[in-house]
Amino acid sequence: MIPEIDPRWVLIVLFTSLTYGVISPVAAARRMYYFASSLPHSALLAAVVAYPLSTILGGEPVLWALVTGVPLSYIVILLLQKGVSEEIATAVFVSFSVSASVAAIYYVLTRFPVRESLWSYIIGDPLLASWHDVWYVALISLLSLVLLIPFYRRQVLIGVDRDFVKLSGIRIKLYDYLFATSLSLATIGLLKVVGFVMEHVLILLPASIALNVARSSSQALVASLTVSSTASLVGLTLAILFNQVPSATIGFVLLAMYIASLVGGRE
Amino acid sequence: MSKVPSLSAEEVSVSLRGERIFEGVSFNLKGPGLVIVLGPNGAGKTTLFKALLGLIPLDRGRVIAMGDDVTGRPEVAGRYLGYVPQLNTVFTGFPVTVREFIEASLTLGRGRLIKERLVRERVETCLRTVGAMEYADRPVSKLSGGQLQRVLIARALVRDPPVLLMDEPTSAIDPKGKEDVIRLIAELSRDRMILLSTHDPAALIARAREVMVFNRGIRALGPPSEVFRLDLIREVYGGSVYLIEKCIHIL
Repeated sequence: MIPEIDPRWVLIVLFTSLTYGVISPVAAARRMYYFASSLPHSALLAAVVAYPLSTILGGEPVLWALVTGVPLSYIVILLLQKGVSEEIATAVFVSFSVSASVAAIYYVLTRFPVRESLWSYIIGDPLLASWHDVWYVALISLLSLVLLIPFYRRQVLIGVDRDFVKLSGIRIKLYDYLFATSLSLATIGLLKVVGFVMEHVLILLPASIALNVARSSSQALVASLTVSSTASLVGLTLAILFNQVPSATIGFVLLAMYIASLVGGRE
Repeated sequence: MSKVPSLSAEEVSVSLRGERIFEGVSFNLKGPGLVIVLGPNGAGKTTLFKALLGLIPLDRGRVIAMGDDVTGRPEVAGRYLGYVPQLNTVFTGFPVTVREFIEASLTLGRGRLIKERLVRERVETCLRTVGAMEYADRPVSKLSGGQLQRVLIARALVRDPPVLLMDEPTSAIDPKGKEDVIRLIAELSRDRMILLSTHDPAALIARAREVMVFNRGIRALGPPSEVFRLDLIREVYGGSVYLIEKCIHIL
C-alpha cells in the first residue's frame, strides 16, 4: 500500500535533511558533536523567549528567536577560545539554556496568551506544514548551506589539525563563528517545523554512519547527505503508513542504517 | 631577505593559564643542520615551539624568522617555519586521505590560486621524498605511527620552508619506523635548519649540529661535544641518565 504523501511534507523533510546532512559531518570533524547536539536546547529557549518579545515589541517570533538564539551560541565559542574544553563549555551552556528554558516556558505559559502548542517544538509538526512553511524552511536551509558548503574542507581541516590551519594563514575564529551561526540558524529556524527530537537525531546520526563507510572527507559529506535524505524520506513514508510521528520513525531508520553501516562498513 | 635558514628568539617569555612556563629565552641560529632541543617531559619544549610559531601569545619578547618579525603571527611564521606536531595532536577520527591532508598545505589560505596539476605534482614529490607514496590514497586514520610521522613531515615540506620544527618525531613509533624517520631527518637537515625536540637523544646526537638543553628555559646551547655532557644532562634530568657504551641514555 503506497500512502498518499503531500509534496509539502516531502519538501520539508528534504530541505531539513539536506541541511543537517551537511551540519552533521562538520560537527563530527570539528569534534563538536556535544555542542551541536546542545543547540536544540538553546533553540528551545530562544523560541520561547521570542513569544513575549514579539507580543510586546511586534514582529515575527522566529526573527526574535534568531536574534536571541544565535548570539547565545557564541557563548560556547567564546569559552572554547578562552581555552575551556568543549565538554565543559557545552555542559555550562546546556545547564544555563535548559534552566532558562524551563523558567521562560513557565513565564510564557502563565503570563501570555500562547497561540501555538509548545509541544510542536518538542516533537515537530512537518505534517502540518503550509506552503508558507515550505518556503520558510527552504530559505533557512539555503542560508545554512551557503554558510557551510563552501567552507566544508576548511572546517574539516580545522578539526583535524587546528594549529596547522592557523599556520596556513586561515583566521580560525571566523570559522568557529561561521559554524556556530549556521548551526544555530538551522536549529532555531527549523525547530518549529521539525522539532527538538528530530534535530538531535539528524545532527548526530548521519555523520556517525558516514564515518563507518567513507574514506575521504568528500565521501563523508556525500554519504551523510545521502543517509540523511534517504532516512528522512523512508521515515516520512513509515510515519504515514503506521500513523506515527515522523521524527520518531526517521530516528529509527537512521538507527537501523547505523547498525547496517557498522556491520557492512569499511574495515 | 636572506636565503640562509635563520631563526632567533629575543627574551621570549611565555605563561599558560597563569603559570610561567619559561622566561627570557634567547638564541640565534643560522644555517642548515639539525638542532636537538633536549629536555624532560614538562620542560616546555612544545610550548617553546608553539611560541616560535606564533600559536600561543608571548608575555614578552620577539621571534625573528628569516629576518622577518613573526611574533604572534602564525600566518607569517608559516611561510618560513614548517611544523611537524606530535602524532597525538592530529585528530584521525574523521576520514581524510593522505593526499587531501597534504594538498591542504598548498590550497589553504593566503588566497593563493595554484593550478591543480602543480599541487598534485608537488604533493607527489614530497610523498616520494618521505617514502609515503604507496599510501597516498589511504585515510590518515589507517596509518601506523611511523607512516603518519612521514606524512606529517611531507606536509611540512610541501611549502619548502627553510626551517622545520619537529616535536618529538621519533616518539610513539616502533624501532624500525624510528630508524627510517631518523635517516629521513638527517637527509632533510642537509639543506634546511631542523629544530627537533626529543627526550631521548641517543639515536640522533651523532647527526646533530647543535644541542639545546631546555628545561623551563635554555640551560645550555652549543655543539654536542660541549653540551651533551653527563653532568649537564643529569642536572636537567636527575638520576635517570646513564652512560652506556660511551653514549648517554635517558631512561
